[in-house]
Amino acid sequence: MAKSICIALREGALEGELAPALTIKDSIASPFGLQVFDHVLSQLFSSILAGKSPSQGLILVSFSRSPSFYLELLKNKGINVASSDKRIHILDCYNDPLGWKDQIVEISSTVTVFREVKHMDKLFNSIIELGRGLVGGGKIRFSIAIDSVDEMLRRASVSSVARLLSNLRSHEQISSIFWLLHSDLHKARVTAVLEYLSSMVASLEPSHQLANGQRGDLENFALIKHNSKKGKFHVRFKKRNGRVHVMSEEVHMEQSGINFTPLTSEGAINQGLVPKVQFNLQLSEKERIDKANVVLPFEHQGDNGKPLQIYDGRRSLVDSKHERAVAVENVQTKEESESESESDMQRGEIIYYRDSDDEMPDSDEDPDDDLDI
Amino acid sequence: MAAAKTRSSSFSGNLSSAASSLGPGLKCGPNGTVLLSSGIPDLDKILGGGFPLGSLVMVMEDAEAPHHMLLLRNFMSQGLVHSQPLLYASPARDPRGFLGTLPSPAASKDDKSRGPEPDQLQEKGLRIAWQYKKYFGENQLNFDGQRDGKHKYSNEFNLRNPLERHFINGQRVDCFSIQDSPDLSILQDRCTTFLSQLPRNDGSISCAGRIAIQSFCAPQCVYSNMEWEMLSFIRSLKNMVQSSNSVAIITFPPSLLSPSFCKRWQHMADTLLSVKAIQDDDKELAQLLTGYQDMIGFLNVHKVARINTQVPVILEATTFSIKLQKRRYLILECLNQAPVDGSSGTSYGTSGSCSSSSKTGNLDF
Repeated sequence: MAKSICIALREGALEGELAPALTIKDSIASPFGLQVFDHVLSQLFSSILAGKSPSQGLILVSFSRSPSFYLELLKNKGINVASSDKRIHILDCYNDPLGWKDQIVEISSTVTVFREVKHMDKLFNSIIELGRGLVGGGKIRFSIAIDSVDEMLRRASVSSVARLLSNLRSHEQISSIFWLLHSDLHKARVTAVLEYLSSMVASLEPSHQLANGQRGDLENFALIKHNSKKGKFHVRFKKRNGRVHVMSEEVHMEQSGINFTPLTSEGAINQGLVPKVQFNLQLSEKERIDKANVVLPFEHQGDNGKPLQIYDGRRSLVDSKHERAVAVENVQTKEESESESESDMQRGEIIYYRDSDDEMPDSDEDPDDDLDI
Repeated sequence: MAAAKTRSSSFSGNLSSAASSLGPGLKCGPNGTVLLSSGIPDLDKILGGGFPLGSLVMVMEDAEAPHHMLLLRNFMSQGLVHSQPLLYASPARDPRGFLGTLPSPAASKDDKSRGPEPDQLQEKGLRIAWQYKKYFGENQLNFDGQRDGKHKYSNEFNLRNPLERHFINGQRVDCFSIQDSPDLSILQDRCTTFLSQLPRNDGSISCAGRIAIQSFCAPQCVYSNMEWEMLSFIRSLKNMVQSSNSVAIITFPPSLLSPSFCKRWQHMADTLLSVKAIQDDDKELAQLLTGYQDMIGFLNVHKVARINTQVPVILEATTFSIKLQKRRYLILECLNQAPVDGSSGTSYGTSGSCSSSSKTGNLDF
C-alpha cells in the first residue's frame, strides 16, 4: 500500500543494513507509474521537510522529465522549494544527457546539469557529491529518487546500472532510494535484475485484463476506458525476517492527483481458504431444520408408552414413504408425541426390516458377545 | 526429521585405519568418501552426514529472501571453528564485513531441546501422537556426542552471537570481491592457488578447505552477462575441487539467468539445494501447514551428491521448512500437514486435491 511504502522509505536504513529500495513498475496496460512516482516523491519530500525522517535531503535524478516540471509539482503540492532549497537538489539528465549543447541556461540553483549519462560511475560520483553538498559529510543521510531507470538502461549496460544502484544502496549516507521502471520496455531479465536489487516492488496492473490483447475490439473499448482511470497496485515487501509481505490496493486517477483505496472484494481475496474435500459436509438451512426434527427410533418406546410396532417386512408396504430422504423422515418419540399426535399420519416412517422372527425386540444383549475371537 | 537412509553395501572397505588420521571436522562417509559438516546439523542428517569432500554444492537463491546467507554463514562458521582454510568471494564491496556476521557455536549447556517438555510426558491416559514423526528427532540428538575430544563434527550455531575474533584472524581466510573483475580470471586464479594447498593424496587428510562463492551471477558484477564464461568457470572449479580435499558452495539467483543456463548450472552441481521465501499472512498456507508462524522459508533438496556410487539417494521428503528456534538456531523441519477442517467443506463438485493454490504445488510431503 502506498502509505506503507512511504513509511518504509521515510524510515530508511538501519545501521549496517542496505538502504530500502523501491521499484515502481508499470506497463502500457496500466500506465500510472509516473503519477505514482510523483506521489511517492512528494510524500517523501514532505516528510523530510517536516523532520520526520532521519534523511535530511533528497536528490532527484531526472531523466524523463524536465526539472522545472518537478519544481512546479512541488509548488503545487504546497511545498515551497525556494525556502527548502537546502533540502532538495535535482540532477538534470534530461536537458543535455550526452553533452551536445554548448551552453546550458541555468534554471535555478537547485538544479545541476549532468552531461555524461553513459558513464555510470561518474553519475554515481555526482550523486554522492551533490548529496554531500546538501547534507554535509559524516553520518548524515539523504534519499535519492531516480526518475526513470529506462533512460539509464538505454545508454549503459545492465550490469553498470545494477552496480550503480547496489553501490548507492550500500553507501553509508544513503537513507532510501526509489526509481521508476516501465517493464514492457525491457527484456524480462532486466526487470528481474531490478526486482532483485530492490527491497520493495510496487507494480501497477490493469483492473481488467484485455481479452487476447486486441485493442481494436468494440468490447474492449469499455475496458480500455476503465483501465485508463483505474488500476490495481500490488506491493511486495521483502521484510527483514525473510518473509515477503504482499499487499494490494486500487488506484484511481483523478484531477487532483492519484488516489489509493483498499481493494474491493471482487476477486482479490483468495477463494477456498481451506483444502477442498470431496464430499459436502455442510448442511443447508432446510437440512439443518430437518435434522433437528428427526426423531430417533427406539424399539422400546412408542406412542404414549405403548410398545412401538416395528414393521418387519411381513405386512403391507407403506411404499410411498420409501422415497423420502433420510433427513426428512421422522418417527415419533415419547416426548414429542403428546404435542404432535395429529400430524402423525403426515410424517414419514422409518422402515425397518427385521432379520428374523426369532429376534426379541431389543433384547439388550450385545450381539457381539456371540463372537468368538 | 527426515534422515537419508543410505543403503550400505556389504562390500564396505576397511575404513577404521583411515578414520584415525582424519583431521578435525571430518568423518568417514559411505562409499569411501570423507564428509565435512555443513554447519547445520539438520541438513547434515538430511544429506546423509554432510558434504563429501570433492563435491560442488550449489544453492539456488530466492531473490525475495536472504536465506542463502544463513546457509553460507553456518557453512563458513563451521569451517572456521574447525580451523579449515576458507576462501570467500562475494559481489559486495567489502566481503570482510560479512565475516563479522558469522555466528558462534552454541555453548553445550544451551543445547536446544526439541519435543515436549518433561512434565507433559508424565500425562497419564491416552495420548495421541499427532504427526508422530516429529518425536523421532529426540533420540538422535545424542549421537553427535560420540566424536569426543574438543572438536565436535558439527556444531549448532547461535545466530545472535558473532563469532569470536580469534577464529577469523590468524587463519587462512581469504576474502575478495568479485564485483569489479572484468572477467573471471582473477577468481579462477584465487581458487587455483587456494586449492593447490589442499591436494588429495591417498594418505591421511589433515585438513580440508572450504570455498564459498556468494551470488555468483549477481547483476552488479561486470562478467554477469558472460554466460558461457561463467559456465566454464563452474566446470573448471568443479574439476579442481574433485581432485582436492575441499568443498565448494556456490549460491546464485536463478531468476537472473536464462532458463537454459540455469539448467546447465543445476546439472553441474553435485548437491543442489534451493531456498524459497514464504509469504507473510498467507492464510492458505497457514491452514495447510502446522507451525507456519515460525517458518521463515523453505529449503528444497533437489540433488544429493553421489560420489563413488551409482546408488541414488532417495529422501523421504525433499521440502523442509526453515525455522529459527529461539530466534537463534537454524533448524530444518519436515513439513507437516495441518488437520483438515472438514466442517466447512465446499460444494460437491470441487476437485479433491488438498493443496488448492498453485504456490503450494511444489511442496512435497
